Amino acid sequence: MAELGRAALVVTLGLTTYALIAGAAAAHLGRRRLALSAQNALIAAFCSTLVASGVLLAALLRHDFSFTYVARTTSEALPTAYTISAFWGGQEGSLLLWLLVLTGFGALAVRLNRGWARDLIVWVVPVFGAVAVFFSFLVVVVASPFAVQPAPADGAGMNPSLQNPYMLAHPPLLYLGYVGLTVPFAFAIAALLSGRTDERWLVATRRWTLVAWTALGIGQLVGAHWAYVEVGWGGYYAWDPVENAALMPWLAATAFLHSVMIQEKRGMLRVWNVLLVILAFSLSLFGTFLTRSGVVNSIHSFTQSSIGPWFLAFIALTVTVSLALLFRRLPQLRSPTRLESPISREAAFLYNNLLLLALCLTILWGVVYPLLSEAVRGEAVVLGRSYFDFFLRVFGLPLLLLMGIGPLIAWRKASLRSLVTTFRWPTTVALATGVLLLALGAGSSVPGLVTYTFSAFVVATIVMEFARGTRARKALGAESWPGAFQSLISRNRRRYGGYVVHAAIVLLAIGIAGSSAFDSVAEAKLRPGESMDVGKYTLAYRSLDERQVENATEIRATLAVSRGDRDLGTLKAGKNAYTIEQQVSNEVGIRSDRLTGEDLFVIAEQIDPDGAVYFRVFVKPLVNLIWIAGLVFVLGSAIALWPDAREQRRLVARASEVGVPATR
Amino acid sequence: MARKASPARLVIALSVAAVLAVFLLYTSIAGGGNPSIAPSELAGRTGTVQLAGLVVGPVTGDAHAGGLRFRLRDIGGESATRVPVRYMGSVPDLFKAGRHIVLDGRLRNGIFVAEPGSMITKCPSKYAPKRSGDSA
Repeated sequence: MAELGRAALVVTLGLTTYALIAGAAAAHLGRRRLALSAQNALIAAFCSTLVASGVLLAALLRHDFSFTYVARTTSEALPTAYTISAFWGGQEGSLLLWLLVLTGFGALAVRLNRGWARDLIVWVVPVFGAVAVFFSFLVVVVASPFAVQPAPADGAGMNPSLQNPYMLAHPPLLYLGYVGLTVPFAFAIAALLSGRTDERWLVATRRWTLVAWTALGIGQLVGAHWAYVEVGWGGYYAWDPVENAALMPWLAATAFLHSVMIQEKRGMLRVWNVLLVILAFSLSLFGTFLTRSGVVNSIHSFTQSSIGPWFLAFIALTVTVSLALLFRRLPQLRSPTRLESPISREAAFLYNNLLLLALCLTILWGVVYPLLSEAVRGEAVVLGRSYFDFFLRVFGLPLLLLMGIGPLIAWRKASLRSLVTTFRWPTTVALATGVLLLALGAGSSVPGLVTYTFSAFVVATIVMEFARGTRARKALGAESWPGAFQSLISRNRRRYGGYVVHAAIVLLAIGIAGSSAFDSVAEAKLRPGESMDVGKYTLAYRSLDERQVENATEIRATLAVSRGDRDLGTLKAGKNAYTIEQQVSNEVGIRSDRLTGEDLFVIAEQIDPDGAVYFRVFVKPLVNLIWIAGLVFVLGSAIALWPDAREQRRLVARASEVGVPATR
Repeated sequence: MARKASPARLVIALSVAAVLAVFLLYTSIAGGGNPSIAPSELAGRTGTVQLAGLVVGPVTGDAHAGGLRFRLRDIGGESATRVPVRYMGSVPDLFKAGRHIVLDGRLRNGIFVAEPGSMITKCPSKYAPKRSGDSA
């Protein structure tokens, strides 16, 4: 079996090399038949990778421990779902997944677009080929998932902290996101190579970028929730390098999704967009490198290995070649239009882009700072949480405000009068909210108060947009209000889907501000019968129970929770001691208030033999909005992604129009 | 510059770049950030540092009363240095002798006094094999 897997991967390497070389030759010489065969090679490479993946999956499911990979990542007793998740749990398997998704996306993108963008596709194929050659080389030569050994009686098993349903969703979503960013990259580079630098590559890749970006965003939220409920330190994001590795490409892709609109509508920011795509793709490679190479200290430590230098070399090659190409095509990328006023929609989008990029680059700086300072000063200096928090406020809060301004401000040049009319109500709402919250005592945290005020502003603009649009549809003859609302959304899914995503970001901001700026914490050592107060809650420690389950001893403290004189039931918090792994894990108790979105979060930090427990208790207001934001985010993305033939035609038409200079 | 860029755009870009540069300089030189060092490099240092090392038992004391006491040595290398540590605050699940941990703190009278709650343990490698005695 292992031979079949290995052979399939060698075939993949051969096919992708062919797609690279034959594809490039065909595109350069203009040979149509050769180009077609290169495209087919890419599609065939997907099939052979699929075979290899099937072999690995079968080996995992059959517990074939003669596969080193299977023996290292699973055991006989591991439940089937986690056995499947071991596919992406180890390094070799996750590289194979990268390759599978990459060739799959490549084959699909080529098939979908080869009708209308043929001269672009001929160059897309060799670019995809080049990226796929790198990954298939890794799985064939450097880190093969099909290494064999004399089979041991049982495998090493999976770390208990990974035996968790989140393991099924979090890593694959991140991979979909990382790999998905290859598609816009390949099209952008193809546009540069072919000299077809009009807007068609944007139209072809819009949905791909959106899908990758959505997967990356949701993947991170799932990871945050995992950390929150399972890891149990009371937070959900720790600015750890590995977490930042996913955030950075997401921020770059967010900037790209916005600036694309400016290029589509006004033909501006062409160079900028190509730069953003190159950056997003390089950051996704860098993220993988960071996770796998262990060059920086992280609380996530993955199997470290020798693939680090290969990745670094590939990133360097990608950046150099892309920038050289961009430089060569600069004259063709000259924009037919110019920014007319610093107060216009174009400018607002530009500010949004600069802020997103600034945030992304400061995070990058924070991540690589230990390496840089070690190189320069001979001593690694680590930038702590305060560094990242500071910049999140400095760049994030203006971004939040711009989210309300950008979509409403006039194109080209906004007059003062139009500004007043447009923003009169949102500003009033925001100020009223701010004053009200100040009166209620939210002034204890200025960044928190500012976040809420800005959020109110954005929400007001979004509500206004929906209300105005629906009213207009009704006036134009929709029968009912719901009908008018639906017709409004379906006529411009991208715009209204975008507003829904904005609403999700507002929820996220409110949740983060609530849980970090207005939280309270208390800790105390309690004996059974004693109680403690935190916020408005009273917790009475009732009893301690011990229970033997299959592979662990569960110790749970039961607490009776009340608020004022209302009894809120009981909450359990404790620890699991895993017998075989010799490992203890905190099992936190969380009580969510459905009405206010507030969490009471209890950690039993230390359990003494005499039954006394040291508790650490958080009250986290509004924290549940963060998870709700994830659902709204998916809804918004789905609206924007929904197939819409009319819009696609419009975009194609506009792309060819903007492509012709001097019409404006 | 080959192309005639809009002055507004240039101004925006430059001002943002300037703001960014100032912030970065401020935080990286004047402000935050502690040197990250190994136990063998600790001797003679007075400022706050981030200490990364491997826990050496015995682990005694109470993290919430009087402090947890243990020693740290270098993760790799030959050094025989053992730094005594006192730590208060929450102790991560994975903490025990033999684990890699990171602490913030400073040296006082020969004892590394960690900042409360600053301990981070590194997850064991994703698929840590069972100890050799367990496998067949």
